[in-house]
Amino acid sequence: MTDPLLRVENLTTQFFTEAGTVRAVDSISFEVHEGEIVGLVGESGAGKSVASMSLLRLVESPGEIVAGEITYKGRTIFGLEETADGSLSERPEMLSEEEMRREIRGNEIAVIFQDPMESLNPVFTVGGQLREFIELNRGLSKRVAREEAIRMLREVGIPDPEGRYEEYPHQFSGGMRQRVLIAMALACEPSLIIADEPTTALDVTVEGQILDLVDDLQEKYGTSFIWVTHDLGVVAEICDRVNVMYLGEIVEQAPVDDLFYETAHPYTEALLESMPRPDLTVEEIQSIRGVMPSAIAPPSGCRFHPRCRYAREACKRVHPDPRRVATSADGETHRAACLRHDVFESGYEASAPLEHATALSDREVERPPGGEGGE
Amino acid sequence: MSSFGETPTGSDSSTAERDSETLLEVEGLKKHFTTGSGLLSGLRVDPGSFPPVRREHERVRAVDDVSFSIARGETLGLVGESGCGKSTLGRTVLRLLEPTAGTIRFDGEDLASLGGEALRRKRAEMGMIFQDPHASLNPRMTVGTIVEEPMVAHGMLDGEGREARAKSLLEDVGLEAHHYHRYPHEFSGGQRQRVNLARALSVDPDFVVCDEPVSALDVSVQAQVLNTMARLQAEFGLTYLFIAHDLSVIRHIADRVAVMYLGTVVELAEKEELFENPQHPYTQALLESIPVPDPRESGTRGVLEGEVPSPVDPPSGCRFRTRCPVLIAPEGYGFGDAEWEATRGFVRAVKRRTFEPAPAAEVRERFFPEGVPDGEAGELVETALSLVSAAELEGLEEDARTARWHEASELLLESFAEESICARERPHYEVDPVYGDGEHLAACHRHR
Ligand SMILES: Nc1ncnc2c1ncn2[C@@H]1O[C@H](COP(=O)(O)OP(=O)(O)OP(=O)(O)O)[C@@H](O)[C@H]1O
Ligand code: SF4
Ligand code: SF4
Ligand SMILES: [Mg+2]
Repeated sequence: MTDPLLRVENLTTQFFTEAGTVRAVDSISFEVHEGEIVGLVGESGAGKSVASMSLLRLVESPGEIVAGEITYKGRTIFGLEETADGSLSERPEMLSEEEMRREIRGNEIAVIFQDPMESLNPVFTVGGQLREFIELNRGLSKRVAREEAIRMLREVGIPDPEGRYEEYPHQFSGGMRQRVLIAMALACEPSLIIADEPTTALDVTVEGQILDLVDDLQEKYGTSFIWVTHDLGVVAEICDRVNVMYLGEIVEQAPVDDLFYETAHPYTEALLESMPRPDLTVEEIQSIRGVMPSAIAPPSGCRFHPRCRYAREACKRVHPDPRRVATSADGETHRAACLRHDVFESGYEASAPLEHATALSDREVERPPGGEGGE
Repeated sequence: MSSFGETPTGSDSSTAERDSETLLEVEGLKKHFTTGSGLLSGLRVDPGSFPPVRREHERVRAVDDVSFSIARGETLGLVGESGCGKSTLGRTVLRLLEPTAGTIRFDGEDLASLGGEALRRKRAEMGMIFQDPHASLNPRMTVGTIVEEPMVAHGMLDGEGREARAKSLLEDVGLEAHHYHRYPHEFSGGQRQRVNLARALSVDPDFVVCDEPVSALDVSVQAQVLNTMARLQAEFGLTYLFIAHDLSVIRHIADRVAVMYLGTVVELAEKEELFENPQHPYTQALLESIPVPDPRESGTRGVLEGEVPSPVDPPSGCRFRTRCPVLIAPEGYGFGDAEWEATRGFVRAVKRRTFEPAPAAEVRERFFPEGVPDGEAGELVETALSLVSAAELEGLEEDARTARWHEASELLLESFAEESICARERPHYEVDPVYGDGEHLAACHRHR
């Protein structure tokens, strides 16, 4: 396989708060290859957004990337090395803040957020903002940039782009604003777009329009995407490969078909079972017991063990990292962080099931507040 | 279908009788809002805000002539996209909003005619759960106070009795009695929604309006709350009006489903019938646009074009006609199917200005590869084609160009779209169900 566009290794991002250290992203590794859409899936608080922001080094205080390596097209976005006195410092080849701003953000890697109003200035016209962005980033004259802006607006499906060029963001519906952001993201023809829940706030027909648009544009420009979502329907629809996150970690990593048909992690399995389906009538949906514990004091061993229906004693002790558990038909690696797989040799089989695991899954019990995260 | 906790295994006829006992009957219900702020005049629709449009002396037709009924013990799912009027309908049914017109009969009594004390008493039989479990609970009140509040308002029980009831309700909804003294911020989203449930049930209502009760929750927690709601319905014989934009949730919880679009109900049928045999083009589009959680099904999704028009000046006839992929051909031009399809596509493209000015021949070839229609229709198309051709627009200022596009669009809309039966009559039809034998209504002239 050719070198990946983006390689993330053991990325660890933490927030240093009064309540303690939030382990928002804990040693995750994944790759994005040219032209693919890679999903980052998980429930609220799993660390998806923090992971995305880390890739562009946009994590703000009290957050900090504390470990790991991010390589984009052979360049080091983030990397540490050990100095003579044993402490860690940034590697000399790591891109400077100036280089990140000038050469990476927007130009090479663009972002689309869930709430487009965060990225649009309410006091300037939509067209004006897009034109200025193009002017600055592509060094075009004002007139040419305007034409290019209108062309982009039309390309992303804004009706009457000439007329709407002069309108303000609040005059656009949510879906239309999201299209503007896509136009803006595409304007510099980046190689990678990070889309953080860009359709979550939209109605399903509008979401459908946007997903279609992304499909078309991806085909045309060959852009790679990291698609952040909590919706497994969207994942099935557009992703090539998927990373499932739980409490700061990647617990499963697989080509999309294998994720759904050869599910290898109990959390993924539980997520799939807890979803009501649009295409089938399901009388009983299986809920997942409890809630996601706090990322300040994650459960010992496997972080999913207090909610896992297969949990055994070993799961409280041994912390599984994502390991290769299978190879898909086309030679891609399928990883899962679960001790039930033989590769872990953790003594899972021989250990006793945890009490809750035997009684689990049909009764929905929520832990009392404050009692989260293990006894 | 209906879910009484203690449904006897009686004869078919007695079950049918019970099922058909109507608890709520809504007829010709309208709720219009008049907005008065002239400052913001000129604003367009913003389905994200409420009311969705503000302009001076405008009438927002949030709910416009809606009729349905709900049987005792049943769950009616109400589904539609943001801004279509679901929440307004839910609130108007409870008379939290004054209806503009129409009747609401609850348990045989006309709610619209009730006032003061009588209405207050009736309301005790109805509860409501809102979308956002964070916003809807007062952070300064304990869970106990929150759950007891409706009982206090309705003078139900004494202090001790209320506390005992609140504690037992907390257990009913899957919390614990000792949570009585806690504050909302100590709870997760799913747990707060359970507190909301306990509160809604505290006055022992027969009927609960649930407005997007699980939308703000993660899937795993959503499943917990949905299961609890289903269990409570069976235990207490509750009747739900369940509002959601998520069709998967509706498919899971509802017995019958009403689909709303721009203030009207466009389709109403039993759940299985609605999902397996949808008869309104909007319902079909809605179902087709959901991404299915199965990668082997991907790529089969359909796409509905355009945006929801403003409820201030909704389209005449069928409200869906401006986006309908199967808008019926106007009579009188003798359109063939293919001709009409091409013309419809061209009309919408001009209206939305989706192509750049090009020589007329090029545009003609793009939209009418088989040639423009014959006769009068063809002449109209040609006129529009030349209005927006590159030759005509060349050298004009932007304003003048816009005027040309406008002229072409008006000509086409008036001649074709507005002449369709879809624009001239409000559709309302009953169709034969394929699944089950419940009533199936589809507001589409294709069933005329
Ligand atoms: N500024 C911050 N200060 C402290 N903790 C933070 C901050 N931002 C995020 N976190 C914490 O980091 C963890 C991961 O959060 P993140 O926003 O990445 O989750 P997410 O997967 O994107 O969730 P969602 O689906 O809700 O968007 C959470 O525990 C969150 O509370
Ligand atoms: S390691 Fe144990 S607790 Fe974790 S997912 Fe696997 S079986 Fe469940
Ligand atoms: S009445 Fe006409 S416009 Fe409305 S849904 Fe039916 S075919 Fe479409
Ligand atoms: Mg996020």
